[in-house]
Amino acid sequence: MINYIVRRLLWGLVLLIAVTALIFILFRVLPTADPATLRAGRLQSPKIIAEIRADLGLDKSLPAQFWIYLKGILLHFNLGYSYYSGASVKSLLFDRLPATVSLVLGGAVVWVTAGMTVGILSALRPRSRRDRASMGGALLLVSAPEYWLGLIVLYLFAADIGQLRIFPGSGSYVPLTTDPVKWFTSLLLPWFVVAAGNAAIYARLMRSSLIETMGQDYIRTARAKGLSERRVVMHHGVRAAINPILTILALDVGVLLGSAVLVETVFNIPGIGRLNYDAITHADFPIIQGTVLMAALFIIVANILVDIAYAYLDPRVRYS
Amino acid sequence: MFSIRTILPALLALAAGGAALALAACGSSSSSANTGLNTPQGVLTPANEPQSGGHRGGTLTVLNHTDFEHIDPGTSYFSNDYEAMYATQRPLYSYKPNNVTTPTPDMAESDPQISSDGKNITIHIRHGVHFSPPVNREVTSADVAYALERAANPNVANPYYLGYLGAVEGVPKANGGPVPGIRTPNKYTLELHLTEPKAQLVAASLVLPYSAAVPADYAKRFDAQKPSEYGNYQVATGPYMFKANAEGKVLGTGYQPGKSATLVRNPNWNASTDFRPAYLDQINIQIGGDTNVIGRQVLEGSHMIQNDTPAQSIVKLAYEKFRSQLEISPNAGDHYIAINNSKGPFTNVNLRKAYWAALDREAMNKARGGSLVTILMTHYLWPETPGFEAAGGYAGPKVDYNEHPQGDMAVAEKYMKLAGYPSGKYTGGKTLTVVGSTGNPEPEDAQIATQALNKLGFKTKLNLVDKSVMYSKYCGVVSEAIDVCPNVGWVADFGDAQAVLNVPFNGKLIVANGTNSNWGLVNHQKINEAMTAAEKVQGKEARANAWANIDRELVGEAVAVPYDWDKQAQIQSKDVAGVGDLWNIGSWDYNYTSLK
Repeated sequence: MINYIVRRLLWGLVLLIAVTALIFILFRVLPTADPATLRAGRLQSPKIIAEIRADLGLDKSLPAQFWIYLKGILLHFNLGYSYYSGASVKSLLFDRLPATVSLVLGGAVVWVTAGMTVGILSALRPRSRRDRASMGGALLLVSAPEYWLGLIVLYLFAADIGQLRIFPGSGSYVPLTTDPVKWFTSLLLPWFVVAAGNAAIYARLMRSSLIETMGQDYIRTARAKGLSERRVVMHHGVRAAINPILTILALDVGVLLGSAVLVETVFNIPGIGRLNYDAITHADFPIIQGTVLMAALFIIVANILVDIAYAYLDPRVRYS
Repeated sequence: MFSIRTILPALLALAAGGAALALAACGSSSSSANTGLNTPQGVLTPANEPQSGGHRGGTLTVLNHTDFEHIDPGTSYFSNDYEAMYATQRPLYSYKPNNVTTPTPDMAESDPQISSDGKNITIHIRHGVHFSPPVNREVTSADVAYALERAANPNVANPYYLGYLGAVEGVPKANGGPVPGIRTPNKYTLELHLTEPKAQLVAASLVLPYSAAVPADYAKRFDAQKPSEYGNYQVATGPYMFKANAEGKVLGTGYQPGKSATLVRNPNWNASTDFRPAYLDQINIQIGGDTNVIGRQVLEGSHMIQNDTPAQSIVKLAYEKFRSQLEISPNAGDHYIAINNSKGPFTNVNLRKAYWAALDREAMNKARGGSLVTILMTHYLWPETPGFEAAGGYAGPKVDYNEHPQGDMAVAEKYMKLAGYPSGKYTGGKTLTVVGSTGNPEPEDAQIATQALNKLGFKTKLNLVDKSVMYSKYCGVVSEAIDVCPNVGWVADFGDAQAVLNVPFNGKLIVANGTNSNWGLVNHQKINEAMTAAEKVQGKEARANAWANIDRELVGEAVAVPYDWDKQAQIQSKDVAGVGDLWNIGSWDYNYTSLK
């Protein structure tokens, strides 16, 4: 098992370098704005632009720029500095990370709990009214774009602009360390919006997976042994049916940690997604690279964790 | 060099979708008569807002979708930065909110004394103005001199200094050190010695934040860093300051990039030395969020303003339901179609006139929101700019290609024939490259502009990119030789005709390095020479007339197709007595705004 994890970690590292190279090339080949002229402003003298270009290292060849960047990451975990503000990308990411982690992990708890509960209940009574209503609702939520849903819940329930002024609205986010209660209440609507679409997908996934599992021979055996239906479903059915959920959960959390830009914008949560969006509009390559690298890191780590969890949850899975 | 409010695209405003056309219905007129501002009843404008406020004290919350571009007074040049700059810094001169042409002495004690040959400027500095903590000492002329000198420091890289201060002796070769033409004979006197008689322009530019005093003894260590860190440790001379820690550090205390900024009262500000009332105790600026949500929060909330561009759907909502909370400001820049005067088919003046005649400029303005937020642009100088009336006023010069804002194909055909296309259609075979901007409503404008070209027989290739890419990779890069840029716009930094016309249309100022702002590569020798001569004209009226004549020549050459003198919408909560700045696209002035 340990060999397997080490091997996966090493492959993860190779993958990260590949992603770094890809992003590095992509943002220099595509027609993005020139960072030196953006920083220089209008009608700037060629001398000043040349100095800015040299300061940013943009006067070096692409391989040289990439090598300097890679060396900085591998030897010093230095992700570079913002072309615009000069701030360290690492510090910017760490500054924004808590907000995004709060949003995504809290949302994940909501969508996994809701999705699995609805999925299990639907799977136990397939084609019943409850099942049809649940799956119909899931279809609706899957079809609702996050941005639109965010606006709708704000217009309905936000304390400042809602029709029913119940929950704190946009711009109310405070860090957990500042005020845990306000942190929790400020994230209720964002969690709902982040979770809605995913919960619907998870419910449908859980339902189909559990229906298939409940038809297996070992489930019939468990029932024949006289186990309670609750124990059969939870310990033998759900435990086996949960693998596809775990796989997709890791990917979803990893992706969302780097790209929750719409929800972060609508609710004005200063997270990684908004940082990335602002960086894209300013052609701030180091920040874009940093956020993408971080998202890739999350996805790789989450996948490794999922593989380990497989072995724990499904006795048939063993790594060597 | 000049502030262009074009950098940050309102990507998410796309969701506001068809709001543009809906908004057009608010204020569009069926008549093509151009009568100017026409602010609807009940809507505020900076020109007639009361300058006295509500009560003294309280905290104003500002909800801004966009972050500052720069908070260093030596670098700041965007309208979004200006309100914070002019609340915290005192340039030598500044405008009162309802004025855009006559500056008021600010850090200066009186108007500048200009020598009769236009080559020397003497300015007396006000006594008794102190820097905020941790510097605390009195401001002297040396601090103003250092502020002007540091603008040339590559670590500060002010984009104005060559354009406006280039005539000051030593400035063209300056790199941040002492400049021979900037002298301080005593503690309260500043002298500027020029190599050319351009004192009027140099003096007019001293309303910009780069003339706000910076203490060399404190700032030099920050200016030595690449880029300068002074903005993050700045000290104030105005009524307010960015909240700072004991060492003066603003970054992370009073300014968190992308998150928030806090302006608090400057404890060293002496009201008796200033004309600003400064009613508010504190200004909390929240950065980020969606413009549709921000707009509703402001309109329905309390003690709030938005100080960047509201979503079109919000302007419509404000117009229909919260009219007394809506301000519409003229003098908010322009939009025109840049057409390549130096390369390709549009080197032919008659083709340029044909394009102007064919274009449905009313449709383009309707896409932008109709007459509530646009004025049909008929020439290049703006309303509120000296020389505007002499250049033709709202109606514009009497030329047939300017007569029909809905487009007139008969006139267009006439000019196509004069251009050498007897069929009235272009048969040259060249496919025109049109580069427009994404966002809202730019793509729609770009499509209307492209359709007009197609009607004239041109084949076109339309490319829509992010606005910053449009400027820095295509329309601002000479070597790209883009034929048509339909979404370019301009906002001058101060009320002088030269600031409106010189950079976009003077061929001598074309730069090849990607920061070019003469997007149409307009380079006509006669006009260039007229501009060089007009720069040196002394006296307000003579100067205005000289630039009005240039405006008429530009129209005669049809150097670009004008379509919109922008009006800017601003919104506030019902219990805010907002005062907008006519000189800064109507943005709410923190020095004058108060709570009811």
